[in-house]
Amino acid sequence: MQGWVTLALLLSLGVECSLGQNGVGELPVPRGLTLNPDLPAQTLSLTWQSDSSLFDLEIFHTELMNVVLNETVAVKTDPVTGLHSWTWHSPLPLECTSHSAHIRARNQQSVSQWSPLQTIPGSDIPEKSESNMFPQDKVVPVGSNMTFCCIVKEKEDFKEIMYGRQEMTATRLSRRTYAITATNQPVSGNTGTNVICCSQRLTLTGAVVFVGYPPGDEGLVCETRDLASAECSWKKGRDTGLRMRRSRTKYTLNGRDCLEANERKRWWCSSKAWEQSWTLVARNPLGTVHLMDSAQLTDRVHLLAPVNVTAVEVKAWSATLQWSWSVAAYKKLEMVCQLQLFAHELNSTRNYSGPGLSSVVLESLWPDVDYTVTLYCGSKHGFWKWGDKSAPYRIHTKMDRPDALDVWMWMDSSNTGCVFWKPLSVRKSHGALVGYEVSQSSAEEDGWTPVSLPPGNFSYPIILNNGSDITVAVAARNPAGLSQPSTVTTPAYRADSQLSMSELLSTNGSFVLSWQPNANASSGYAVEWVPTGCSGLCPVDWKKVPESDSSFTLNSDSLVAGVRYTVSVYALSTGAPTLLQRWQGYSQEMTPSQSVRELLPNQSGSDVLLSWKATAMENQRGFIRGYTIYLANAAHLELIANISDPEVQSYRVKGLSLSSYKFVVKAYTSAGEDAGATVAIKMEMDTADMLFVGILVPLGIMFCCLILISICCYKKREWVKKAFYPEIPGPKVPGDWSSPQGPLDVKPSPHSLVHIVESPEWDFTKEGLFPVPEEEEESENDNIEVDADSDEPALLRYYNQVVGDGSHGNQVSDSSGSSNTSVDSTQTEITYAGIQSPTSSQGACGGGGYRPQMQSVIGPAEPQIEFEADFQDDGLHAGYKPQCSWQLDSPEAENFSGSLGSPTSVTSSQFLIPESSEEKPQPSNTWFHNFLSGKS
Amino acid sequence: MEGAADSDTPVPERSAADRAAALARLLHRDCTRLLELYKEREDFLSQHAPGGERLVTLALCPEAPSTAEQVGHVRSALRRCMELLECLIVREVEEMGEELQGEYESLRKTVKDRLGHLLHSTGALLENGEGGCPPSPPMQCIQGQDEVEASDSFAAKIWTYKVLLELIHWTDSASQTLHVFHTEKHGQQQQQQLL
Repeated sequence: MQGWVTLALLLSLGVECSLGQNGVGELPVPRGLTLNPDLPAQTLSLTWQSDSSLFDLEIFHTELMNVVLNETVAVKTDPVTGLHSWTWHSPLPLECTSHSAHIRARNQQSVSQWSPLQTIPGSDIPEKSESNMFPQDKVVPVGSNMTFCCIVKEKEDFKEIMYGRQEMTATRLSRRTYAITATNQPVSGNTGTNVICCSQRLTLTGAVVFVGYPPGDEGLVCETRDLASAECSWKKGRDTGLRMRRSRTKYTLNGRDCLEANERKRWWCSSKAWEQSWTLVARNPLGTVHLMDSAQLTDRVHLLAPVNVTAVEVKAWSATLQWSWSVAAYKKLEMVCQLQLFAHELNSTRNYSGPGLSSVVLESLWPDVDYTVTLYCGSKHGFWKWGDKSAPYRIHTKMDRPDALDVWMWMDSSNTGCVFWKPLSVRKSHGALVGYEVSQSSAEEDGWTPVSLPPGNFSYPIILNNGSDITVAVAARNPAGLSQPSTVTTPAYRADSQLSMSELLSTNGSFVLSWQPNANASSGYAVEWVPTGCSGLCPVDWKKVPESDSSFTLNSDSLVAGVRYTVSVYALSTGAPTLLQRWQGYSQEMTPSQSVRELLPNQSGSDVLLSWKATAMENQRGFIRGYTIYLANAAHLELIANISDPEVQSYRVKGLSLSSYKFVVKAYTSAGEDAGATVAIKMEMDTADMLFVGILVPLGIMFCCLILISICCYKKREWVKKAFYPEIPGPKVPGDWSSPQGPLDVKPSPHSLVHIVESPEWDFTKEGLFPVPEEEEESENDNIEVDADSDEPALLRYYNQVVGDGSHGNQVSDSSGSSNTSVDSTQTEITYAGIQSPTSSQGACGGGGYRPQMQSVIGPAEPQIEFEADFQDDGLHAGYKPQCSWQLDSPEAENFSGSLGSPTSVTSSQFLIPESSEEKPQPSNTWFHNFLSGKS
Repeated sequence: MEGAADSDTPVPERSAADRAAALARLLHRDCTRLLELYKEREDFLSQHAPGGERLVTLALCPEAPSTAEQVGHVRSALRRCMELLECLIVREVEEMGEELQGEYESLRKTVKDRLGHLLHSTGALLENGEGGCPPSPPMQCIQGQDEVEASDSFAAKIWTYKVLLELIHWTDSASQTLHVFHTEKHGQQQQQQLL
C-alpha cells in the first residue's frame, strides 16, 4: 500500500514537472477580450478577464496579418470591474485598415493558449468602397511626425500621396490602403497643409493637417482707468500659425471668456471689477499658457486724458489753465500732473500736484509768445504710469514793454560819430517793435531832442557842433509801450596814430583781453572792436563788462579771420567813457590776398634794384612779417633773398650777366606767402661793349678764318690741285688741227636724233639714249648728269660719241657757232656741254677733224642700227684718237683739255665753261687757276 | 405685354439684354480669375483635378425650346450658384475670420455683387415668366455643407473648387444665351419695324 501511494506521488510529481516544463495548457486562457477603439486619439483599448497578471499581446493589420505589436505586459485586475485593461496608441489611424488582437496569459516561462482574435474593421473593408484618407484636420505641433493613410476607391488605381508639394513614398497596408509618414513637419500656411491621394487620372481624396505652435503669450498686466474696473493686456508672443477658427488660441481671464481677444481684435481683456489677482489662460489645440498678475488697485491707476483744457486768464508773464476729468472718481485722487510747454526755443516741462487737480497757474511765461500746452497726470501715491495726454492747447501771452537797449557810441573823428544799439531778442522785445526813439542833449542846450526811427535802424549819426560832449538816449517801442531809455555820452576821440597800440595775438581765434582796473569805471567797462581803418558804416561791436571784471575774451565767432581789428577798452561812468587801452590784431592771420604793388626793376650795370610797395591793409590779412625775393627759372623759384623787415621794400640783385631774368617778390605773414608779384628784366650792356662785342669780334673771327683757310690751301695746294683739278693727258691728234676751218653752218635737224649705244653688252637698264622731243630733254639731262658723275667708260664713250657726232654734224656746227643755239636745239644738255668745249676750238674740231666719227655719220635721219654699227667700229678701230687731237691747237683748246678729260668736266660745266666763257674765255685760267696750279 | 414694351421702349429693352450679356461676360472673367486665385492658394488643384459630381445641373428641367426659356433656365442655375457662393463666403469667413483681405477675398465679394446684378438683369428681361424650369429649391447653407459629403477641411476645399467651376460654367452659359437672346430680340424688332 505504501508502495502504491509512493508511486502515485512520484507519478503526480513527474506529471507536474513535465507540465511545468512544457508551459502549455496549465494557465487559463484570458476570456472576453474586447477591443474599444478611440479613433480621434488613435488608441485601442483591450479589456479581458483573467486570473493572471502577465500577458502576451499581439496586434495585427488584419488583412495582411502584419504584426504591429508583440509585447508582454503586466496588467493587474481592476478591483472595481474585475477586468484587465490595456491601451495601445497606434501610430496609424485605426480607420486605415482592420486591426486584430489576441492575448495569452504568461507566468514566467509558462503561457496559456492565445485567446481568439478580435478584430475592429477599418474603412478599407469592401462595404466601404469610397476613397478616404485619415486622419482628417489634425492639429499637430511643428516638428512632429505623422502617418497618413489613403484608402483607394474600389477598382481605382493608386499613384501617389503628396504632402504639400512633396511626393512621398507610400507603404501598402492592405489591398486598398497605402500610408506615408511625414517627419519634422513645418508650420502650415493659412489654410493648412494639404495631403493628397492621387490616382493616375485625378485626385482621389485628401486631408488637411494644421501644423503650428502652442500659444506664446506673455506679460499679463492689469490696470484700472476708472478706479473701479480692470483692463488686462499682454503680449501676443510667437505666432501660432493656426488661423482656422477651430485651432485659434482661446483666452479666458479669471475663468471668463475674453471676448475682445477671442475676436482677435486686440490683446486685452476687461473686467468690470478689480480683483486682487488675475489669471489669463491662453489655450489652443497644441497647448495652454497661464499668465498671472496681482496688484492693488491704487497701484495700477492709469488716468485718462484731461478734457476741456482752457486758459482762463492769460497775461504777459503768466496764464491760468483749467481742465476737467471724464471720471468723477478722479476728483478725490491725489495726483501729479505734468505740463509740457512748447514754444520756439522756450520749451519747458512743469510739474504740479494736488487732489483731483484741474487748474494750475503757469508762471514765468514770456510776453507775446505762442505756447502749446500738453497735459497728463498720474496717481501721486503708488505712481504707476503717466496717463493719456490731453489734446494740445495753444496759449498766446500778451505783450509787455521792451527791455532797455544796449547802446554804444563810436567816434570816427573828433566831431562825428554814431550811436549804435543792439537789436532786442524775442525775449527782450516782449512784442514786435514798432520803432526806436533817439534823444540827444548837450551842455549848451536844455532838454532833449527826440527822433523816431523805424524798427530796422540800429544806429544814428551824431555831430558835435562845438566839440562839447553830448548825451544820447535810445528807447525801443512796441505796442505795449516804450522801454526804459539807455543813455550814452560821446567818448573823446582818439585816433590810432595818437596811441601806442600793441599787437594783439589771438588764442585759438579769440582775443584774451585784460587791463588794469580803473577806479573811474563805476559803471563797468566797455570793450569795443571795429575793423582797423574802417570808415563810414563800420561794423562796430561792443560788449559791456561789469566793473568787477578787468578781463574779457573776445570770441572768434564775433570776429572775421583775416581782418585786422582795433580793440579798445573804455571805462564807463556817469559821464563820457574813458579810453583805457587799445590793441590791434587778427583773430586768425591769413596769407595776403594780393601781392605787393608797384614792383619795379632798375638795372644798374650788372645789378638790378627791385623796389615795391606793400599791399593795402585790407588785403594784408595778417601782419606783414617780411618779403621773399625769388629768381624765376623755367620750372621753379630760386630763393635769392628773405627780407624779414617789412619796412624794407627794395632789394638789389648783384652780379647778373647779360640775359633775361624774372623776379618774384612775395610778402608773407605768419600764415604764409602771397601768390607773388613778378617782374621781368633783360640785362643790356653798355654802348662801347656792344660795339666791341657786336662788330669787331665777328670781323676778327672771320678774318682769322680766311687767313687759316688760305694758309691751309697754300700748304696743301698739291693735294688741292690733285683733288679738284687733276692733270689730264692731252690728246694726240694726227695731222694738222691747228689750221682754222671755216665755220660750219649747220642747222639743227628738226628731227634731231641721238642714238647712243655704248656696246651690245650694255645693260638694258642703261640702254642708250634715244632722241626725244625737246620737252623731254631737261628730265633726261638730269639723268645724264647723274650718270656723268660716275666713272663708267660708257659715259665717256657716250660723251665722245656725242662730241664726235657733233664734230661732223649740223648740230655741232650750230652749237659751236653760238651757245644759244645749243639751247634752242633739240640736243641734250650733255650735247650742250660736250659741244661747248670745242666751241672755242671749232676751227680745230669742226669739219673733218674727227674723221673716224665723221665717217660713221650718214645723216641726222640715219637709222639707229647703222649708227650703232659705226659706233662699234669706232670703238674697235679708232680707239681714243680724236681726243688726242684736241689739245693741239689753240690755247683755248688747251685750256679745255683739262676739263674735258676730267670726270668733273661733264657735271661741272660752269667750272669748266662759265656762261660767259664764250665772250670771255680768258678768266678760266686766271689767278685762281694759277693758284691751284701752283703758278704765281 | 412684351410687345407693348417693345413698341413703347424698344431701345432700352434691347440694350438691357445687351448689357446683361456684357455683364455675364465680365462676370465670367471674374469667376475665372477667382478660380485662379483659389488655385494659387490651394496649389494641389492645379496638379490634380478632383473628380466628382456637378453641383448645379438642369437635369430635371424640361427641354427649353425658346431662347427666352433657355435664359430662364440659366437664371435658375445662376440663382443656385448665388446660393452656393453665399454659403461659400459664410463658411470661409467663419473658418478664417475677416482678417485675410487679399485679392481673393476682394474679388469674391465683387463676383457676388455682380452675380446679384446679373440675376436682377435677367429677371427684368423675363418679366412674363419665360423659363419653364422652376427655380431650384432654396438651399440652406447647412445643406451646402452636406453636399461637401464630409465636414473636413479637405472636402470643403473640393467643394469650394466645384462651386467656382459652376460659377465659371454658368456665367459662360449666361453670356452666350443672353447674346443669342439679344440677337433674336434685335432681329424681331427690325422685322416689326419693316412691317
